[in-house]
This record gives sequence, structure tokens and C-alpha cells, in this order.
Amino acid sequence: MFLHNYIYRLKCIVRDRELMYWTLFFPIILATFFNLAFANLSEAEKFAPINIAVVDNKEYQKNAPFQRVLKSLSTTSDDKDEEGIFNIRYTTKEEGDKLLNDKEIEGYIYCDNGIKLVIKESGLNQTILKNFIDEFKQTSSTVETIMEHNPESMHSGLLDRIGHRTNFLKEVAPSKSSPDTVVNYFYTLIAMACMYGGFWGLKEVTAIQPNLSPQGARINVAPIHRFKVVIVCILAAISVQLFEIILLLAYLTLVLKISFGNQIGYIILTCIVGTITGVTYGAFISSIIKEEGLKIGALIGSSMTMSFLAGMMYDKMKYIISTRAPILGYVNPVNLITDCFYSLYYYDTNSRFFTNIVILCVFIAIFSLCTYLVLRRQRYASL
Amino acid sequence: MQVYKAFFKIIQKNILQILIYIVIFLFFVVLMANTYTDPTNMDFKESKVNTVFINHDEDSKLLEGLKEYISHNANLIDIPDDIQKLQDALYFREVEYIVKVPKGFTEAFMKGEEIRIEKTIVPDSASSVYMDNLINKYLNTARLYISSIENLSQQQLVNYIGEDLSHETEVLLFNPDPEKGKNIRRMYYFNFLAYSLFAILILGVSAVMIVFNQPDLRKRHSCSPLKLKNMNFQMILGNISFAILVWLIMIIPSFIMYGDYMFTKKGLLFLLNSIIFTLPALSISFLIANIVKSKNAISAASNVVSLGTCFISGVFVPRDFLGETLLKFASFTPTYWYVKSNHIIANIDRLKEEDIRSILTSILIMLIFALTALVITMVIKKQKYTGQVSGS
Repeated sequence: MFLHNYIYRLKCIVRDRELMYWTLFFPIILATFFNLAFANLSEAEKFAPINIAVVDNKEYQKNAPFQRVLKSLSTTSDDKDEEGIFNIRYTTKEEGDKLLNDKEIEGYIYCDNGIKLVIKESGLNQTILKNFIDEFKQTSSTVETIMEHNPESMHSGLLDRIGHRTNFLKEVAPSKSSPDTVVNYFYTLIAMACMYGGFWGLKEVTAIQPNLSPQGARINVAPIHRFKVVIVCILAAISVQLFEIILLLAYLTLVLKISFGNQIGYIILTCIVGTITGVTYGAFISSIIKEEGLKIGALIGSSMTMSFLAGMMYDKMKYIISTRAPILGYVNPVNLITDCFYSLYYYDTNSRFFTNIVILCVFIAIFSLCTYLVLRRQRYASL
Repeated sequence: MQVYKAFFKIIQKNILQILIYIVIFLFFVVLMANTYTDPTNMDFKESKVNTVFINHDEDSKLLEGLKEYISHNANLIDIPDDIQKLQDALYFREVEYIVKVPKGFTEAFMKGEEIRIEKTIVPDSASSVYMDNLINKYLNTARLYISSIENLSQQQLVNYIGEDLSHETEVLLFNPDPEKGKNIRRMYYFNFLAYSLFAILILGVSAVMIVFNQPDLRKRHSCSPLKLKNMNFQMILGNISFAILVWLIMIIPSFIMYGDYMFTKKGLLFLLNSIIFTLPALSISFLIANIVKSKNAISAASNVVSLGTCFISGVFVPRDFLGETLLKFASFTPTYWYVKSNHIIANIDRLKEEDIRSILTSILIMLIFALTALVITMVIKKQKYTGQVSGS
């Protein structure tokens, strides 16, 4: 009997072609869009040589040490050991102004009673440029101080030691995976797709309520316990939704090559728990709100808000919430599901992952209990 | 005007649902406009890298000096030495550089032994090149002093370095635009408006049109003496009134946040651009509402269209980051042209003729989008209508 009902509910769901189509394809289409938009994003943070100009006037010509240093850092430098960081053009002041105005260069160096820097906008490249000139001035000052205290040092290889720069830094990887913000968008997308399981939950609960649909009335007169019907419907909804989520996951990993870490078992577990949360959430909404338009409005509105706060439109939103209002992060199922994927991808330990899963299970329990309490023992004098 | 009236009666019936959408998306756009930071836009003063300094060594004068120096040139952020918190902060770019001084660093360094400080960074980012440079500069200068002058105390050393490193380059600003930062912020508001406006229109228009498109109701309409043309006209009028109403509500926050600015030339241009964008958004919503039949599926369709177009047109991801081919592809959406105009409006110092022309082109293209979507909808409706009359 159980299996019979289950199969018929499954058929009912699958035959809602339009909803099937949209819930299956919308995350896939969106993921494709995300992928297109982010294809270049990780590239943009990489370092590119900075375009600059130098005003070739008399004072610059006189400053031989500065010329030498500048040349060694230019991209046309012969020194193969170090990559050049500046693309240098030699110009007049007027030409420099023009280049700057046309945004062809980030800034130009102008020697007039000392080395000066002219820029139009500020930014990281300008900061690097300024820092380079600072450094030249500072090293000159160091050499002066040393000569004052120990004039002999010039003969004992001071210049060599200036030229010989040691790297005092060693890079330590932050975790097992690189901090790639882009993956977060895809995680929120799966989380949101899970919550869209709510539409199935909503549909199922409507289908078994006699005052909302004719099928509901028919089911209600059948000699089967209400609780069993609810369980069967929810299970059917979960099965379909889980199938869709797994397809989405396969598309993300196999086609778009999004990294989820390698704990495949836990990833599937997250999908299952997330799907159940979504479906029970829809059932919960459907049971407490009677009017159909409002039901859908509430489901869309709340799931969009949750996705927004989990960082689907703007990745830093998740961080802002977790530092300024951590409670909001814990009561947001979309954020919890996202966080599960994130902690599997990024952290070395799994404690945060399990915390999230446990909270999600608490949500499932609350949603199911509320749905059950509302649905049980409803009696209708007339329909 | 029965149809027009009926349109608003249905809106009234669904007012709660529509209000939910308006409130939520209004909340989105305001929150985004106030928290968004563009990764490509950095102010000269603000471009200090957020850095965490963790010291496992003794509190030596040398390290104090180093920390002091870093604090002048970067933002020192205090995050507890907890691996998960640090990882989080790094992941979301709240912190871009973490310095960890190992135990026994000072002693080894003063003796001239080889020892290194640990850094944890966002790989390959420009900010880390800058910070590497800063720290290496300090330590190299220190090394130079230690190897050149004998018996130098740490205090003296720090003083010397401090003196040397205080030499700074004079920076001259050429023809800067003082309002630029603010203009960019205002642009965010209007860019995000594209998403919110689009989403509300699709959800709102669909909520109403689905009622009209119920098979029984449509059959009843078909046998009324009202001509299809007339009925459609009233329906479109109703939709336009609704869209303008939504637009008016959505621009209220801009007047509250930016005040008088909204009445300047740039502010008015932003407003003009956004109301023009409302039209293609509306007719695409109208099209979707007539294609999709299931109430549940509307939300998915709305997500694909509003979120998808915004992502590829540079609303959520800065345009500079999007590839050429993608932008060409995106130019088949009205959102692309809307965002493009917003960029021009925000970035120009003075309105030049060519800017005006390019804004006008964008407006024209958006209007063409609006018209095309409308015509397609009309054809579909007509086909359904005639199919119904002659067929089943």
C-alpha cells in the first residue's frame, strides 16, 4: 500500500512538466551564467606590469642611480632573474599629462627638486609606484647614515649588500584549498535549489488538504491514516528533488569543474539534508498559510531573502552577516547548506560541518512537527 | 475600461503577495548599495591592505618597530590567532595578508642567521606583492645596518630605520574628480535596482496575468463584445501603470539617501535611465507571464531572467572583470545597456556630446527591446486566441 501510494505521488509530481522543467533547469542555467561571469574574475586579481611614464628632463638625467634602478625594474630590462614590474615610457611633462588623462598610464614620475609622482586616480598600482620611489629615497638615506658611522663600509662591499636583497618571507598555504571566493556563488546556488524543493512540499500539502484541492478530498475519504499519506507525499517530493539536486551537482562538478573538495560522502549527505530541509520548509509554509498566492509569495520571498543573506548576489554578504549578526547566519537554512559545502571545501576539520548539519536537522524537525500539528485531526463539516 | 479596472482589482486581491516582493527587493537594493565594495575601486588612502600581525616571538624592539611600520602603511586588523577565524577572514578578503613571526626570530635575525617570517595570502594578488615589498624593505634595511655597523643596539637600529623610512614621495594629483567616489556609490544603487525592479515586475505581473489567463476566464473573455485589441490595450495600460507605481516606490530610497543630488543633471539622468529600463523589463515580464502557466514555476523563471541577466551584464560582478565575448552576448539583454549608461553617467566629469549620444543609443536600444518583447507577446496571445475560437 505504501509503495503503491508512493509511486502514484511520484507520477503526479513528474507529470507537472512545467514545474519539473523549471526546478531542474533554472539552477543549471543560472550556474552557466555564473560560470560565464566569473570566468575572468580570478584572473583579475593577478599581478600585471604597471604602465608608467618618466619625464625625461635635466634633473632626471643627472640622477644616475635612480635611472639605473628604474631600468632594472622595467619590463625591457635584460635581467632575466627578476620580472619587470613597470612598463616605462619616456616623455615630456605635457605628454605625461595627456597620457594620464587618457588613462594610458597609471602615473608619471617627475623630477623637480626631488622625485615626485603625478597621478590622476588613486589605487593599488599607484600605491606600488609610490612605494617604489619611497624606497629609492629611503635606501639613499640608509647609505648616508651608514657612511656617517662607518665610512669604511663603502670599501667592504656596502653597495653589493644593498643590491643583494634577501627575501624574509615564506608563504604558508591558508588551508587545503585556495581561498577562491567564486565557489561560494555556486554553493549558494545549490542551497537555493534545495530550498526550491519547497515548491514540491507546498504542492504536496495542497494536494492532500481536502479544502484546497479535489484530490485532497478524495484522499481524505480513503481508509488510510493521514499521517501515512503525509509521509508518502513528502518522501515522493524529496525523491524528485534529490534527483534534481544530484543532477545539478553532477553538472557543476563534471561540466563546470567547480571544486567541492573530495569528501564525496559528506557532500551527498549535505544534499540529502538540504533537500529534506527545503521540502519540509515548503510543507510547513503550505500548512500555516491558506491562501494560495500568499503561500507562493511567502515561499519565494523567504527563500530569496535567505539566498541573498547567504551571499548569492554578493559574496561578502555572508561574511558581513557572520561577523556582525552571527545569529542570522544560524537561523538561515540557505546559509547553513552553503556553509556545509564551504567548510568541506576549505577547512581542515569537520567540526563546523557537523554543527551545520545538526542545526539543519533541528530545522527539519521543527518544520515537520509544525506541519503535522496543523494537518492532524482536521475535520470538515462540509466542503 | 472594465479590463483596466479588473487588473487593479486583481492587484488588490494579491496586494500582500506583491507587497512581500516589493519590501524584500527594496531591502536588497538598499543593503547592497550600502555594503558593496568594488574590488576594482580603491582610494589612495583606503588602499591600505588589511593585515593581521601575529607574534610568536618575544616582544622585542625590532618587532615592535616592524609592527609600527606596518601599521603606518597597512590596516592592522585584530583577529584572534584562531585558524578557522583567520581562514574565514582570508576567504572573504576581509584580510588579505597574515604575518606570523616564528619563535626566536629576533635573536636569529640579529645574529645574521637565515630565518623567515611566515605569510599567508590570497595567491597571486597585487596586494601581497605590495606587502611583501614593505616587510622585506624593513628587514633588509635592518640587515644592512647590522652588517655595516658593529654593536648596534636594537633601539638604535629601530631609530635609524624609522628615520630612513620616513622619507616619502610627494604625490601630485592631476585634475582629480572629487565627487567620483560618491558618484560610483550612487551608481551601485541604480545598478542593483536593475535586479530588484526586474524581479518584482516579473513576479508581480505574472501574479496578475495568471489570473487573467485561466482557461475558463479566457474563454469568458473571448465571448465578450470587447475586441481583443481593446482588451490588450487596457491590459497593457494596466501593466504600465503598475510598473510606474513600482518604479516610484523603488526610487524613494535614492531621494532619502542622496537628497539634492537626485535633482542635479546626473541624478536626473540616473532616474531617466531607470524609468526607461522599466519598459523592457515590463514587456519581458509580460511575455514570461503569458508563456509560463504554473504559479510555482514563475519564481524559477523570474530568477533565471533577473539574476542571470544581472550577472552577465555587470550588476553583481564589475564589468571590467567580464570577458569581451560575454559582454557581446550580454548586449542581447536590456540590462547590459542600462548598466552601460549608468557607468557613463557616473564616470564622466562633464557631459560631452559623445556621452549624451551613447546614452541616447542605449535608451533607444532598450525601447526596441521593449517593443520586440511586446510584439512577440501579442503574436502569442493572438495565436492562442484564434486557436481557441476556431479549435477546441
